[in-house]
Amino acid sequence: MTPLDGGVAAVEARQLVKRFGVVTAVDGVSFQAMRGEIFGFLGANGAGKTTTLRMLCGLLRPTSGTALIDGIDIMAAPLAAKARLGYLDEEPFVHPHLTGREFLDFVADLYRMPSGRQREERMARLLNLFDLADKNGELIGGYSHGMRQKIGLASLLIREPSVLLLDEPTNGLDPRSARLVKDLLEELAARGTTVLLSTHILEVAQALCRRVAIIDHGRIVAVGTMDELRILAGSEGANLEDLFLKLTAGPESREMIERLLEGAS
Amino acid sequence: MSRPGALWVILRSQLVAQRNRLFKRNRAGLIAVTLVTLLFGGFAAGGIFSVGATAGHFLTSSVDPLLSATVTALSLLMLLLGFPTVIASLFVGRDLLQLVVAPVRTRDIFFARLLLAMNANLLISAIFAAGVVGVGIGAGAQPVYYPTALLLIAAQVVAVTSLQAILMTVIARWVPARLARDVAAGVAGLTGVGLYLAWNLSLRQTFGRRGRPDVSSLTSFVRPIDWLPTTWPAHALSAVVAGSIGTALFWSLATLAFAAVLLTMAGLLYERTLLSGLGIFGGAAVVWRRRVERPIRPGRARGAGSPALAIARKDWLGFRRDVRRLTRLLPAVLLPLGWVVAFSQQGRILSGFWSSVALVTFLSIFMSSALALPSIPGERRGFQLLRMAPLTMWQVLRAKVLTALPPVLAIILVFSAVVVLTGKDGPGQLLELLILGLWLAVGFVSISVSGGAIDPRFDATDDRRSVGVLGSLVSLAASLAFSVLSIGALALFVFGAQATTGTIDIGPIISTPELGVAMLGGGVMLVAAAGVLVGSALWIANARLRSFEGTIAAT
Repeated sequence: MTPLDGGVAAVEARQLVKRFGVVTAVDGVSFQAMRGEIFGFLGANGAGKTTTLRMLCGLLRPTSGTALIDGIDIMAAPLAAKARLGYLDEEPFVHPHLTGREFLDFVADLYRMPSGRQREERMARLLNLFDLADKNGELIGGYSHGMRQKIGLASLLIREPSVLLLDEPTNGLDPRSARLVKDLLEELAARGTTVLLSTHILEVAQALCRRVAIIDHGRIVAVGTMDELRILAGSEGANLEDLFLKLTAGPESREMIERLLEGAS
Repeated sequence: MSRPGALWVILRSQLVAQRNRLFKRNRAGLIAVTLVTLLFGGFAAGGIFSVGATAGHFLTSSVDPLLSATVTALSLLMLLLGFPTVIASLFVGRDLLQLVVAPVRTRDIFFARLLLAMNANLLISAIFAAGVVGVGIGAGAQPVYYPTALLLIAAQVVAVTSLQAILMTVIARWVPARLARDVAAGVAGLTGVGLYLAWNLSLRQTFGRRGRPDVSSLTSFVRPIDWLPTTWPAHALSAVVAGSIGTALFWSLATLAFAAVLLTMAGLLYERTLLSGLGIFGGAAVVWRRRVERPIRPGRARGAGSPALAIARKDWLGFRRDVRRLTRLLPAVLLPLGWVVAFSQQGRILSGFWSSVALVTFLSIFMSSALALPSIPGERRGFQLLRMAPLTMWQVLRAKVLTALPPVLAIILVFSAVVVLTGKDGPGQLLELLILGLWLAVGFVSISVSGGAIDPRFDATDDRRSVGVLGSLVSLAASLAFSVLSIGALALFVFGAQATTGTIDIGPIISTPELGVAMLGGGVMLVAAAGVLVGSALWIANARLRSFEGTIAAT
């Protein structure tokens, strides 16, 4: 399913630009993620991934361009757009003085979810799913990074948004939890949730995403399926890592290592 | 070429960090901070210098007890007020971890961090040094007095900082360093409250009918503590004033030796503490653990959740569980209580309704700035959660005002009632004061919440630094304007009502019912102006929050 297949765009970036003073962090980024798609957003550190995601979720105002969630401009109608999306930062926004259950309750209230038995049961199921149920009474401030990541994910899933923007969601997770998250994302996508997955773990992107966009120095250098990227890079049979390195045009790592070791010897 | 030593490397990095903190910030903010520091520092140091010079000149025979009391008070203040800084520099901070795992001697870490740890103590001692210099000038001391005074005060700073480090190496065996720092900050706050009340009482005594300076109480206070090492520098300095060089040399050497012993002990104990992993690594999780959570009780559906109530409940839970915030609240609550206790004693009460109005106004500003000013920046990264939720910033502001209002209102209303009762004012005046208290609480809380929202520092780890200079100044200026308008309106209402019945004498102006009506009309206009002021502050805060992205981009 690509834009050409006639799918409905759930997330759309149109010529997004973000400048901080004289620094242009994002420079005319455009792409679409279709409903029910897991869309990969790849880039090196500092390439502009997080800034783009923060513009898409309304945390940062674009210098120019438009961010649409389910066709709604997030700057023009922020409340309607925000009600549809969930964003997980690479360092989740959590409150250290709340327990996991209290935090989920807080988020559910923020999004005006009806309270009562159903909500309680859903919270209990999510806490069990992420192995947090036995952290009875422990404050989030005492959680490990992985546990914070899990409670952040749980706070998104409790309200079933139609669009998920995830910035490095498997960061700090143990292999079992990382696998759980991957399976969960596939299941959510199959049910119609759109997932925009920002990561620099290329194996995860290759395994989960049908299409990816690669951002480099604030600009999109490629968008498409793996086959389309291979054609673009002229590298038949290459994996995503090779394609990424080729498209972002960095020096060959082997060459850099040799230079480094020559200098050391 | 020889490599620089580890001590120098650490010191240099600290200096670079300090330089960046000072100069790589908003230029207007830097100028404002410099001006405020110079103003208050100059005021405090100038005041203490004048007191010292006067005392030295007129009480020449009591120079020793005067200096003993001064240096002892300085040591005590440093011990209490400087403790949080010492803990933060030597025992808390992730940058310490980097030093600990590096091939650096603990002694180098200790000495480098000790300089940071002495920051607060040096600041306090600088103010007191002005007093000691003043005593020397007043008493006509020889030139050698001044370098000796500075040397001995510096030694006292080293001694007290070392003592604090020693105490903390013991405390860290049982209490996590972060918790100890928060409790120490609370103790420092309480000390500040105590000093403020003592200052107020002394002012009342100085200007009251019973007030008369009396040094005999000071002499009798100092006599039992004459042996304390905190009085040794004073003995040395008074010997210099008296021209007794041998005695001066003896007490000076004793002071320096005492500081050296404490410094060595602190270094050794610090080494042992770091090696056993206490302080930085130990027991932090204990702070975050609470008793077993109540089991989930599934209830009936209650309709959609309320974001405002959710924010209020979250803030309340966070406040209750955050030792640092609790310790900040304690002095804020104790100040009005202490005030009431202090001034309700016979002969000290500020008489008259308008004195009560001034007290209630001051308390409203104080409580609002303590509780409401950091309420939005106190969200820290959690603010981004609110930004992403389908909420308007108006709703967030309203929730924050409603959360901060009840405690401020409760304290102000109780305080108003106590002030009126102790002042033996009538029930009519009690009602007027309660209405004023309610009005002021709503206004000041709204202004303070707005001030925090206008210039939030979401990346600050401490609530006291979570509002920028602009926000603090806006909040202060708007609060002052609001209090002038509100008290003006109250005056016009009270005097206008009396003028309409012809029961007031307002000087050369002839009191007529028409004048009374005009005054009441003026009061209504001032109330409206005060309302517009509060509305404007909230409107600007809303606009600022909607477009805010300063620290969002950075965190």
